[in-house]
Amino acid sequence: MSLSASAPTRHRLAGLALLLGLATGQSALAATLETAYGPVEVDDDPQRVVTLYEGALDATLASGVVPLGAVTTRGGDGVARYIDDYLAAYHPETDLAIVGVVREINLEAVLAQRPDLILAPPQLADEQYALLSRIAPTIVPPSQPLGPDNWRDESRLYAQALGREAQLEAAIAEVESRAHELAEALAEAEVSGEASLVRWMPQGPLVMSERLFATGLLKTVGLEVSDGGLVNDRGVHSDPLSLENLGRVDSDWLFLATLNAEGQEALDAARTSPAFARLEAVTNDRVVPVDGQLWSSATGALAALAVLDDIEAALLTP
Amino acid sequence: MTTPALSRHGPPEGLGRPLAGLALLLGLAVLASLLLGAGEVTPTRALPVLGGGGDDEARFVVGSLRLPRTLIGAAVGLALGVAGALLQAVSRNPLAEPGLLGVSAGAAFAVALALWLGASATTLRVAVAQAGALAGCLCVLGVARLRGLGNDPIRLVLAGAAFSALLAALTSLLLLFDQRAADEIRFWVIGSLSGRRLADLLAVLPSLALALAITILVARPLAALALGERVASGLGHRPGRVRGLVVLAVALLVGAATAIAGPIAFVGLVVPFAARALAGPDIRRTLWLCLPLGPLMVIGADIVSRLLVAPSELSLGVLTALCGAPVLILVVRARRLPSL
Repeated sequence: MSLSASAPTRHRLAGLALLLGLATGQSALAATLETAYGPVEVDDDPQRVVTLYEGALDATLASGVVPLGAVTTRGGDGVARYIDDYLAAYHPETDLAIVGVVREINLEAVLAQRPDLILAPPQLADEQYALLSRIAPTIVPPSQPLGPDNWRDESRLYAQALGREAQLEAAIAEVESRAHELAEALAEAEVSGEASLVRWMPQGPLVMSERLFATGLLKTVGLEVSDGGLVNDRGVHSDPLSLENLGRVDSDWLFLATLNAEGQEALDAARTSPAFARLEAVTNDRVVPVDGQLWSSATGALAALAVLDDIEAALLTP
Repeated sequence: MTTPALSRHGPPEGLGRPLAGLALLLGLAVLASLLLGAGEVTPTRALPVLGGGGDDEARFVVGSLRLPRTLIGAAVGLALGVAGALLQAVSRNPLAEPGLLGVSAGAAFAVALALWLGASATTLRVAVAQAGALAGCLCVLGVARLRGLGNDPIRLVLAGAAFSALLAALTSLLLLFDQRAADEIRFWVIGSLSGRRLADLLAVLPSLALALAITILVARPLAALALGERVASGLGHRPGRVRGLVVLAVALLVGAATAIAGPIAFVGLVVPFAARALAGPDIRRTLWLCLPLGPLMVIGADIVSRLLVAPSELSLGVLTALCGAPVLILVVRARRLPSL
């Protein structure tokens, strides 16, 4: 698109010096980013940003930019609750448009926002990219194997596209110092031990990978995280674990991720299962209900701070 | 397994041997279901529990996990097998299966609706599922009675498939509307025996007993009806009332099974099919064989579901569909299709 627009311009101007001046002027305004789909040129100061990935939404807000549209969180009608809380606190007048769910992006809704930058998930389908990149420059981070720190690279790329690297680095630094503080506080309070993160289903729990974002943070603050070797390389969790094997996720701390609003309700429901009730973590009252949207779906600096808050509230409050 | 009322007459002649064989197989399946599992409690650890000994862990796994699911599996298999036989006899269609015809889907949709409206999963379920099953039954049989449809078994199944798809779509619509209830409903629309409690079984026992009583009552008129409406009337039966009672019994049975285990397809197809293969088409004989065959199939499938992907578990519905689909194809390809 930029080629066909610049060709007639070049004819009209016809002056080499002027052309050079124009080119250097442009390069000051634009940056070229390495994405999964090769180099993509973006404007320096995008005004109309649409995020199609929870991690991209987090990185955008952490960089100090409020996007126009975003996709819903997993299993929700809108963005994750921690994002809602953040928006209410810092950008109360924001009206974020929902442009689909992660797996099904509503292209018309994206188009309606007339974005000048699209921040897309690492595993975007080729067909989607072909369409989205015609709407606006589309940033797709290179996909990496599942790891707790993937969000850093992804967030940095998004921030680069937004021209806000400094703000994002500050946010990452805040996460690091916060994690460090919490790790020290936990060590001081002599809170330690093994932890596992599961989603409870009446047929049995879904065990979350130890290489997940949230479990990575549990490790950072000094807990040992185990998924009992139950999660394979592909996924976030395995099939529901047989109730007969619940002992495999029994550890000092059991983090119970729920997609329902009321964690306590989910915990009460789980307690009605005799296999759950006899877990050591349950009899010792060391089950921590946590928000599944945040703990199993979100990534990013703001999400990290929210997860660390949850850990502190659960493990440090007497 | 034999209710007093059924044994009043005793099994029909010539069925003693297959019945004894099936009862023996069922006994073995129950034993295997108690001994085998996805966990670390191996048969050698579980065996002492049956004698009253065993370690703590083994006693818990056998007594609190495997025993309930075995009993629930037996009840679900019995209900679905008998419901399939009844529905096939009354519609004179060997493909009439509660799952295929949308009766299970009706029950599932009714439960999803109730959960969405705010009911708690533990209380309302049974009656709601049965009402949904009844509505599903009446709808599909109503469609089947439309002119030209009644004589074609495959068209009935097509109508049922369309109806099921409609209900499944409505159920997922509810899931879209309310993501909070979605977890509960989603768990529930997958058929499984795991994590169900004996209290759930006790809650459906009265309706199961009622349905079996109705079954005993209608078995003879239903057999007469197979000879034709006029013959049945001549013998003093009232075809309309018999059909009504059968539909009621099917709704009670399928509703009860769906309420405890979720929708489990194909049991109602495979079990009567096997029963007819062993005992011939007379409904009074097939019903007898459905009593051990239904529990046998469900308990057997449940055992496989535990072993195949240990330490996780497969859902039961997947396995019954795996056994059921070939039988469906077999029935459709058989030449004497509309022979019921």
